[in-house]
Amino acid sequence: MSVHNSINTGKPITVTIDGKECKSTFGKTILEIARENDIYIPTMCYLTKVQPIGSCRMCVVNVEGVDGMILSCQEKAVDGAVITTNNDALFKERQNIMRLYDVNHPLECGVCDKSGECDLQNKTMEFDVDAQHFTARDQHRPVENWGYVSYDPALCIMCEKCVRVSTEITGDEALKVKFGGYGSTIINVKQERNYASLGEAAAVCPVGALVQTHFKYTANAWELEKIPSACPHCGGGCQMYYEVKHDKIYRVTNEFEFTNLCGAGRFGYDYANEGVTKDEEAFNTAVEAFKKADSVIFAPQISNEEALILQKLKEKLGFKLVCHEACAYQKFMEAYAKVSGKNIYGGNLKALSESQGVIVLGTRINDDSPTVKYHINMASKWQRARVAYMHPIEDGEMQHIVTQFIKYEAGSEEGAVALLAHTLLADADIPESVRSVLDDLDIGNLSAESNIGEEELEALRKSLLKRHGFSLVVGEDLYAHPRAEQIAAWVALLERYAGFNVICVPPAGNAMGVSLICDLDEAAEGKTVGYNVKGDFTLSALGDGDLDMPALNQQEGTLTTVDKRVVPMHVALPYGGYVLNDIANALGLKATYTIDYTEQLPQTAGFKAAAFDDLPEYFDMVGNEHRGYLLEPQSVAQELALEEVGELDTFDGAVVYRCNPENHFSPFTAKSPLLDEEAVLTGSQQFATVTKLKDGERICFEIDGVRFERVFKIDTEMKGTIALNPTFDMGLSASLLSSYRFSRLSFEKCNNDKIGNNDE
Amino acid sequence: MGLEQFKNRNVGQQEYVLLDLEHTPQTPMGKFKQVVKRTFKPELFVGLGVTMREMINALFKGQMHTIKYPFEKLPISPRYRAIHEMLRLLESGHYRCIGCGLCEKICISNCITMDTRYDENQRKEVSEYTINFGRCIFCGYCAEVCPELAIVHGPRYETASEQRASFSLFEDMLTPIDKLNLQQEYDGFGAVTPNADENIKKTPLAY
Repeated sequence: MSVHNSINTGKPITVTIDGKECKSTFGKTILEIARENDIYIPTMCYLTKVQPIGSCRMCVVNVEGVDGMILSCQEKAVDGAVITTNNDALFKERQNIMRLYDVNHPLECGVCDKSGECDLQNKTMEFDVDAQHFTARDQHRPVENWGYVSYDPALCIMCEKCVRVSTEITGDEALKVKFGGYGSTIINVKQERNYASLGEAAAVCPVGALVQTHFKYTANAWELEKIPSACPHCGGGCQMYYEVKHDKIYRVTNEFEFTNLCGAGRFGYDYANEGVTKDEEAFNTAVEAFKKADSVIFAPQISNEEALILQKLKEKLGFKLVCHEACAYQKFMEAYAKVSGKNIYGGNLKALSESQGVIVLGTRINDDSPTVKYHINMASKWQRARVAYMHPIEDGEMQHIVTQFIKYEAGSEEGAVALLAHTLLADADIPESVRSVLDDLDIGNLSAESNIGEEELEALRKSLLKRHGFSLVVGEDLYAHPRAEQIAAWVALLERYAGFNVICVPPAGNAMGVSLICDLDEAAEGKTVGYNVKGDFTLSALGDGDLDMPALNQQEGTLTTVDKRVVPMHVALPYGGYVLNDIANALGLKATYTIDYTEQLPQTAGFKAAAFDDLPEYFDMVGNEHRGYLLEPQSVAQELALEEVGELDTFDGAVVYRCNPENHFSPFTAKSPLLDEEAVLTGSQQFATVTKLKDGERICFEIDGVRFERVFKIDTEMKGTIALNPTFDMGLSASLLSSYRFSRLSFEKCNNDKIGNNDE
Repeated sequence: MGLEQFKNRNVGQQEYVLLDLEHTPQTPMGKFKQVVKRTFKPELFVGLGVTMREMINALFKGQMHTIKYPFEKLPISPRYRAIHEMLRLLESGHYRCIGCGLCEKICISNCITMDTRYDENQRKEVSEYTINFGRCIFCGYCAEVCPELAIVHGPRYETASEQRASFSLFEDMLTPIDKLNLQQEYDGFGAVTPNADENIKKTPLAY
């Protein structure tokens, strides 16, 4: 972009397209303006969510006073331009392009998965290509199976959409173009890693070249019913469609033009609680259990409406309501609100993707929230953003994106965030009280304790100079930290005084919705009823409790997303048993359907009084999201109470970090057969030396009363003495973990004979 | 053709022809004479003679006009639409069905159900294929839409059965592999036209 252009960006302009006067702003391409005004320009390689590719040349238009044809996807419109999108010459040009695309394209539409929703099929019809008039020597191009996706080079039209998505959006950077004229092909340079995020690359493929392996040849596009929904796994609430035939989900797709879906969302759909019937006896026991319960403990994988039902039951029956992840988040956000003045954080994903500087703190973001990672990647690729990644463990998956890795000691988050605030607020206009706290910080001590060098912070400050648009992404490490409330205050200072676009990534499932709706208690006591958590009486959507509950793809409801949006989910699969609303009705609440509670979601927390059936679910022509509604931030009384940084409790020796692998979040992803992954404790060679463990050894240890039995695996890419301990395979115990994510490891070796055959 | 002749309802002007029939006898004597005349005409024996001739032709000259159903059956038109058959490729013996799902889509009584999968040879394999003959109306659309001439209507019109399921599995409709040489090409709905060869355009082979 030249200097001249960037100065004029945003100025109102008027262009005439096909005789229609279109008002827009400078900086938009001709194609964007045409689409805003419902004018059709055919394209093959254009994908709204990435930068123009320009490989197909289908989008050519004529501009008055300019010789030749112009690529409308790349060319910015100038004021007063008169544009023709269709005439005989343009039609001929496009027809010839289609003829070339069709040369030797295998005539296997009959079996091709894409048939019926294929861009090549549609455009071939549109431009009347009914015969092949010339040819080229065909080559042997065998089908390649890359794991989650398969690639058939014979069908590939080299539009490069998949490569762009893999680079600009998902950031796995696995796909590359291998140039070679007619022999050009797409190659997977990281085949051994089998990225589930390549599902996104398969989604954008306009032909049947890149397809989901499990779906290949199982159903035709037109046989599947698309059920719009939102992905419930990480709290991202990404848009998705369940594609269903005969009460079975065949695959998951999305509005790939505008949104993204990570591997877990795309392949982790098969977790429904099937074959359930109404067991009246168990139901009556459940109602009794609720009446007698002293506490109800639940996992955050529930809808807003269910959370509201539990809250209402709490008000009625007076039990304690416990959800560890959401409770920690709630406390964190309360402390945050006291400084920022708003009950939710101010940042959003779009602003994150437009940032020129991003700081990630206290989260292994690639594993915790792929959608947030994607947006950081977009900022990195489009804005060349500086990305500072502050965490005790380096993440190999982030190394293409991260420009500065700042390592701090586990446990010293408070020191780290105070140092960060000290650095970034150095020149900011802040009240005297805050300034004096900042000035009083013992920088040398903090720096030594947290192991963050002052020169690192100085480098960070310098790298952000002369840039604008900054984002701060904070995560789960901070919420369950013993000094979480102080940390929240420091983070909020950055939003309030340094103009940071702050995103506090919700820890799991619908934790954000739960934290806004429920009045949570810290610890359970007495008799417990567990919902997707082990309790004295257990309601479970996993099918292993005392009473069955529907999984999230079997019920209607709304989710609250990391983008602060309340989005609807619909029923993809049938469910024959009782739901939470039935129990609530038996206990004296009154609602025909669970979704009757959608209107009653607390407006004091920012929800709107909108009925479930009135929630919109679509993207418009230019990609604006109209899905559910955005939460309305509520004002909170400000109360600035910054304490001195407490004694930093750091961890020495062997430490485990609670962290699920990229494609797993909960027992529900663990139940999905496509995301087949073994839960192992992974640590570095150094960790193995410290703990004297060998690769493949089986150990037992306990965290928060939950007993883990894990095989230890050495990951040569990792460094340091912190190992990753997944929880997704722990079933109903997964949500019992409540403490800080890092914990010292004290373990015993398990008797291998007793457990049975191992891989040794 | 105009509609004038149908709109002209004036009966008297149309070309009716009166048959030259005898008048009905009026007197008792006349009636009696007519009865006697009809009774002793030799026409009865003409009829008996015809029967005798046909009997001799059938029994001794091999010109039997009836067949011994169900031991014998008459040939049936290729356009007749009875229970479906699934044909095989003559060369390889592999079934022709490619699993494209068009028959399932076009079926107006929704009686075809199929499931496909990706098989070891990287082909689309039909893992399940059933036709619910309780619903099938034998309209022939499936045979017409089939791009491979894989599903056709056979001549098997005897569909009395204890269970309709007896016909409805893929294997039941498929030509038995040992009778591949007896497999008949289908001439009915969806068959290639007699002049199909003339309509084929060849792809250029420049190299």
